[in-house]
Amino acid sequence: MTLIDNPDQQALAESVRKLVAARSPLTKVREVALSDQSYDADVWRLVCELGVPGLAIPEQYGGAGGTWADLFIVLRELGAGLVQTPLFASSVLAGGALLASDDEELKSTWLPRLADGSTIGALAVSEENDATWGSQPSTVTAADGKVSGTKVAVLNGAEADLLIVQASDGLYLVQTQQSGVTIAGDEVLDLTRSIATVRFDGAEGHRLAGTADVVLDAVIDLANVALAAEQSGAIKSCIDITAAYANMRYSFGLPIGAYQGVKHKLADDYTEWSLVDASVRVASEALTSGASTASAAAAAARVLASPAYTRAAKNMMLLHGGIGFTWEHDAHLFYRNAVTGKVLLGGPLFQQDRLADKLGV
Amino acid sequence: MPADEFRTKALTWLTEHARPFAGESADGNFAPSLKESKAFQKSLWEAGLAGITWPKEYGGQGLGEDEVIAFNEVASDFLLPTGPFVIGLGMPGPTILELGTEEQKKRHIPPMLSGDEIWCQLFSEPNGGSDVASLQTSAVRTEMGWLINGQKVWTSGAQFSDFGAILVRTDPTVPRHSGITMFIVDMHHPGVTVRPLVVATGDAPFNEVYFDDVEVPLDAVIGEVNQGWAAAVVMLRNERVTIGAGGRSRSNPLGYDALREIAADIGTADDTGVRRRLANLYARETAVAAFGRVLHEGALAGNPIGARGSAAKLAGAELGLWASDAAEDIVGQDIALLTGKSAKAARMILRAPGSATAGGSNEIQRNIVAERVLGLPKDPGAADRKTPFNQLKLSK
Repeated sequence: MTLIDNPDQQALAESVRKLVAARSPLTKVREVALSDQSYDADVWRLVCELGVPGLAIPEQYGGAGGTWADLFIVLRELGAGLVQTPLFASSVLAGGALLASDDEELKSTWLPRLADGSTIGALAVSEENDATWGSQPSTVTAADGKVSGTKVAVLNGAEADLLIVQASDGLYLVQTQQSGVTIAGDEVLDLTRSIATVRFDGAEGHRLAGTADVVLDAVIDLANVALAAEQSGAIKSCIDITAAYANMRYSFGLPIGAYQGVKHKLADDYTEWSLVDASVRVASEALTSGASTASAAAAAARVLASPAYTRAAKNMMLLHGGIGFTWEHDAHLFYRNAVTGKVLLGGPLFQQDRLADKLGV
Repeated sequence: MPADEFRTKALTWLTEHARPFAGESADGNFAPSLKESKAFQKSLWEAGLAGITWPKEYGGQGLGEDEVIAFNEVASDFLLPTGPFVIGLGMPGPTILELGTEEQKKRHIPPMLSGDEIWCQLFSEPNGGSDVASLQTSAVRTEMGWLINGQKVWTSGAQFSDFGAILVRTDPTVPRHSGITMFIVDMHHPGVTVRPLVVATGDAPFNEVYFDDVEVPLDAVIGEVNQGWAAAVVMLRNERVTIGAGGRSRSNPLGYDALREIAADIGTADDTGVRRRLANLYARETAVAAFGRVLHEGALAGNPIGARGSAAKLAGAELGLWASDAAEDIVGQDIALLTGKSAKAARMILRAPGSATAGGSNEIQRNIVAERVLGLPKDPGAADRKTPFNQLKLSK
């Protein structure tokens, strides 16, 4: 297997890139960010028409039967444009959890709906005051299938039709349209992400067959590569936008890009991005081929990508000078997204510890 | 031959003929002689394991990048005495294959691969540093060929090299990039003097090389007369990829494997900070190797590496510097000692800044990435690109 995208993947990336340019440029992203909607329904419909939510879902469950690498390639393109969609929450987190479970019944029922985008899924793991993620003890309990407790930082929780909830004795599928579920959208730094706090008060849930720890471990791998792929796209956008500005903006009689103070920052950002992009490719390859190094590769990609993105977004603001700090400029959209992405789904220290664990250090 | 078959072949041969890498203590006295190195390279080549992607007609194997990757993976478990050949096979070799005449390829490539002839690369000069095009070593046209005079520096392996690829100025009346020529020079010529150059580590891994009326024939030109800068760019590109995008090596004293072993030995492996340092090192090290793979596979798919080689070189150099910091934290106070298990790491952190400079400083690589990959404007310092070389101010 090669680290270079195959022709089908290149064509897919090209389709998504065109869609983003035509239907979700940064002006549109901003418009959506400032609206009551967390994503544009038309854009999401077009993404679904391309079959994207079902790319990594097997054909027997209504998906395209592709690989996770196919989905990561789309996430890279959407990430480059900061396009708001529930794709990550629905296909990677909820879809990934269902797929990793042993629950044939729930898989057959829900995966086809996630695959065509008619149902939005999300994953509820995080709890108050805990920066780790995954199989930690949960204060959410389930008695006779009635789920109670609180989860925080639920990505796209407010838009979800179904939630996979980590409780103390396993994972539960909970539909959100019922009286026992209260969802409150949080006010968040990142204008392109929707994050919610969800309270369960005796909500009806179906316990997923399978071991929760195993399922969550698999989901963390997927989530790490998926987020790193998004961030890889976004880092490249920060670099490209800033390089274009550095060619155009003159200071002291020269384009600012002629000064090494500007050049070197951008060159470092580019080199970092090259490593991030390569590590995403290695992790995609490892996950797709089921290599024993997949978990380490996934964590490694995230360990590199999240801080590199914050740095590139910060440099984007700095190298644009004063204008980069204005509300009208897009730099803060990337910066907000970068800072949030770093702590999402387990913060940087959790990822480093996870990588050390997976390496057996 | 499928890569798996090649991998098996390489593993079988190396198991039989090479010294296995078995941790920090086992290789402490590994210092092969030149004779041993030459003999090993010859048998490696005879076994069909040298010049893997090089054309068959010049002694190569005519195979693909998959086989190179397979070999490198297998070889990382062995200590190979191939150091003297790294320069020749990494830089002059590929450049001659790309730009050399049929006669040059036939004459020089097979003995290079078989270890019979060792090559060095003569670019840097005392006043030049990373500004290679400021070189002042000259060659003037004679009846028989060219006469070279001047001095080179930072030349690895000059003391045992048979040939060198040298850059000299052949026309000082034109702008600096336009009057340079690359020659093949016989290092055994009586006008060549090699002096070891002692560096910060106390070792002498490099040399100063003096050229005093050294004659080279007309057919020693690589590429074309006064077009040496184009040849230099080809060679520097190969050099940056050779230096920067190497694979993960277990024998690198500042590598993840070695530092992890040290941490286990001195009992710091359970420390949270050390664990995180090692995790980060693993992530960076594997990414640098992967970036090399992405560039090579892309090149095979028709996307030439070009100036991205500078990003690879920069990434490799920064990894070395980053790993030095990590080693200081992981090893702790023993990093001040040149005895014990951490001695190799201590020596290596002293060497890392030099390794970062080799092949062009990080600052130069950043300029190249910014200008040629990201399309930023030329550095104002490049304003002398149009001035004839002999009218340039070269020092204060």
